[in-house]
Amino acid sequence: MEEELIQIKNSAVSLILDAKDYRELEELKVQFLGRNGRFTLAIKEISKLPKEKRPEIGRLSNEVKKSIEDTLSAQQTRTKKETSDQLKQKIDVTIPGIKPQIGHLHPMTQVIYDVVDVFNGLGYQVADGPEIETDYYNFEALNIPKDHPARDTQQTLYLDTRNAKVNPGEIILRTQLSGMQARAMEKIKPPLRVIVPGKVFRYEQVDASHGFEFWQVEGFLVDTNVKLTDLFGTIDYVLRKLMGNSIKLKFATTNFPFVEPGVDTYIECTVCKGKGCSFCKMSGWSEIMPAGMIHPNVLKAVGYSSKEWNGFAFCIGLSRLVTLRYKMEDLRLLTNPDLRIIEQF
Amino acid sequence: MLAPLSWLKDYVDVKLSPKDLGERLTEVGLSTEKIRRENDDVIFEFEITPNRPDLLSIIGIAREIAAIENTKIKIPKLFEDLKPKKKLPIKITTESSINPRFTGIIIDGITVRQSPDWLKEKLIKAGQRPINNIVDITNYVMLELGNPIHAFDYKKIKGSVMKVHQAKGGEKFTSVDKVTYHLPKGAVIISDSEKIIDLCGIKGGLNSGTFENTKTIFIRVPVEIPVLIRKTATSLSLRSEASSIFERGANAGGTVDALKRCIQLIIKEAGGQIASELFDIKKEVFLPWKLNLELERLNEILGISIAEDEVLKLLQRLNLNPLKKTKDIIEVTVPTYRNDLKIEEDLIEEVARLYGYNKFPKTTPQGQIPIKQIPYFKDYEIEKKIKNVLISSGFSEILTYSLLSEKDLLENETNPDKTLRVDNPVSREFEYLRQSLIPNLKKALAQNKPYFEQINLFELGKVYVGSNIDEEKEFYFLSAVSNNKNFYEVKGVVEKIFEDCGINEAGAKYIQIFDEGIFFELNFSDILSKINLSKRYKPIPKYPPIIEDLSVEVSEKIKVGDIIEEIKKQSSSIRQVSLLDVFENSRTFHIIYQHKERNLTNEEVSKIREKILQSLKNKFKIKLKE
Repeated sequence: MEEELIQIKNSAVSLILDAKDYRELEELKVQFLGRNGRFTLAIKEISKLPKEKRPEIGRLSNEVKKSIEDTLSAQQTRTKKETSDQLKQKIDVTIPGIKPQIGHLHPMTQVIYDVVDVFNGLGYQVADGPEIETDYYNFEALNIPKDHPARDTQQTLYLDTRNAKVNPGEIILRTQLSGMQARAMEKIKPPLRVIVPGKVFRYEQVDASHGFEFWQVEGFLVDTNVKLTDLFGTIDYVLRKLMGNSIKLKFATTNFPFVEPGVDTYIECTVCKGKGCSFCKMSGWSEIMPAGMIHPNVLKAVGYSSKEWNGFAFCIGLSRLVTLRYKMEDLRLLTNPDLRIIEQF
Repeated sequence: MLAPLSWLKDYVDVKLSPKDLGERLTEVGLSTEKIRRENDDVIFEFEITPNRPDLLSIIGIAREIAAIENTKIKIPKLFEDLKPKKKLPIKITTESSINPRFTGIIIDGITVRQSPDWLKEKLIKAGQRPINNIVDITNYVMLELGNPIHAFDYKKIKGSVMKVHQAKGGEKFTSVDKVTYHLPKGAVIISDSEKIIDLCGIKGGLNSGTFENTKTIFIRVPVEIPVLIRKTATSLSLRSEASSIFERGANAGGTVDALKRCIQLIIKEAGGQIASELFDIKKEVFLPWKLNLELERLNEILGISIAEDEVLKLLQRLNLNPLKKTKDIIEVTVPTYRNDLKIEEDLIEEVARLYGYNKFPKTTPQGQIPIKQIPYFKDYEIEKKIKNVLISSGFSEILTYSLLSEKDLLENETNPDKTLRVDNPVSREFEYLRQSLIPNLKKALAQNKPYFEQINLFELGKVYVGSNIDEEKEFYFLSAVSNNKNFYEVKGVVEKIFEDCGINEAGAKYIQIFDEGIFFELNFSDILSKINLSKRYKPIPKYPPIIEDLSVEVSEKIKVGDIIEEIKKQSSSIRQVSLLDVFENSRTFHIIYQHKERNLTNEEVSKIREKILQSLKNKFKIKLKE
């Protein structure tokens, strides 16, 4: 019995190794392991053996079966690959592949999705508000009364109020997304973590780094015991997540009437690596994320107690973030619908 | 604001290199835009934030440098001998609500000529054009100390009367640089007994300016009301160095010192003698004010712990004269030139900025993650889902301007009179708010034509409807164009979007066929309001379907959609009906019969088929193809 099993194994293995193709292997499989195969028939005899011999022969037969199966499977893999190689030799594999016709998301959208993901991870929710805004929400609720000199830094596009009841100058195209601070806060109590991605409008002459329509993301957090170091930590974390860990950042003091203390964030220009180029106005740095601790007057305007709550607010220039990330030297590329630009992303 | 290093050095010792100084100044809030070498000097260009009128002066900048360098500034010694040698008449009437402080004096017997070289050089480096010694000295002292000053030719003040009042509106005024303005109502002006001689805080008048033959001058150093100055300057689109300072709020405590400095230089460079008392008309006293800073709160808000004596030192370097009131409270005295310091938070910023923002550690907010859904909530996942359908169908995304030209509207048969409009457009090209995304898609298509054969574009963006601003409404629209897909392929994309959003609607009415391509435009805001993403598992059918194709003869007028609806209505065992083929008048429908709970028999199916044919015959006069 032992000898017979070993003979079956040897003969099967040598035949399998000599087999020329997949079909021949299939035939050998049937010949040895099929219902009437040599091995199958042989092990039926085991039951006729004396009881004490059965375990040993049983083990042997398992080994033989495994060895035949392994050889078969190895050979099958090899012959499959040979067949594929033979087929490939018949065609020119260097002809470029036919790519599926899939469109491209605008780079701005891709960056916005990243921004939303990063902030979602920090517990922020996304809000979306009107682009046609009132002077109240855009300025006055933010501690910028009419005729405040800070309005010079955000030249405004006013809507034509002919044939309408509203007063001229009251309805504008939003110059910033900060209007959503008051809009959201007056409807809900803290704690709050909100971001608002969107388009803003300014009366501004267009050049490589300015536009009259561009994108920003505003964010704010209101809670108890919020610290300036929390703001620095948030800015640092978010920009590194979005722009990579190797970026260089620096903070500076600035003034926006709706924050105190006020913070400005500069990122080393990615276009020129800090050497100075037209994009960063030769300074080597680009202003990317103005921010600050929310001014008590803003909290008061929405009925929050500034003793109980405080917070921070920030804004990222998304148009600039996109251009810095992809080293595009002109903001106008973002509103140019040329597919030769969009298909790069 | 241009500041020559040589001029700054008149008041402060500078140890830092220009580059390091620029960086430190930016860090403390004086944004350094440019550093330019000019011969043996260095010119700094700063951007001054709206809260800091004091930084529109060389002394103000020198004070910031002194704070950084931890040193003191040297203030020029002032002329104190103000006893008039004679008294020329002048009658001043003013009102503190429109002119809180009016400081002035007459100087007689001056000689107007070119300024000395040192003065001309300083002004030129600071970006000013030298005119004559008197005008140059007033400009110099304004640049040095930050209080705007105007010199009138005393002899041209008719009736020796100066009356500060507000314009009624429409009055003509010719400025010293010979431009004539029609004054807006409320502009603060000075009149003599005959005419307007000054547009306060903005420009002096041509009729009372200082020229070569002027012998006697009246010097006025005022404090104006920021809002009034700004309103007038904005409405005239007329800005001056003086108006930028007054808009921010001039140093109300500094007028007398500025006047003294001016007198000193005038007597030195132009001769003459004091010919009146020093007028200083005001209601308030304009003294420094006190503010409290709570140490614990400072460290709580900053998130770091700055020791008390360091806080005191930082405040002292900023000339805020800190005084320890109680264990935890520091009282500071704010100089009148720092009118931006009004609340405790302002002092917290003062400490933080001089300490250095870049020395702060970085922490993570410890508070609670808000759970309640916020107002104005937007779910980006829906947008992603829909954009994925478009991307996978070969459409690429574009972003275009919301503002269009009148030409764009007319080319797209839109009435400009019923379109929202910007009053002050950047250019005529960007004047009207779009009501549709299609005009820009058409332009984008044309722009891409020379380079691509197959163009598939989409945009998701706002449109703004309403024929006037009272009726204004904003919606997100989702629009696309294809120049290589056929109608049914585009319709399929629309239907796929609806299907993925759980909305049961037909796609055809959203599609427009133009020569350029096939467009669709969907109200995305409307989709968001109707969207239903809830899914519920339906068990897979246990019993086999019976499938058959049914060819019928139809008149052209009858719509396939109507036929499919009619077929579906005939039995609950019809699971699916689709159009397989169209050939002339023949339509072949693919019908799947299936029962949820049992096998269908051929007999049952043939009964349903009979019913279908009967109803099609009755309703549409359709018969089975022979």
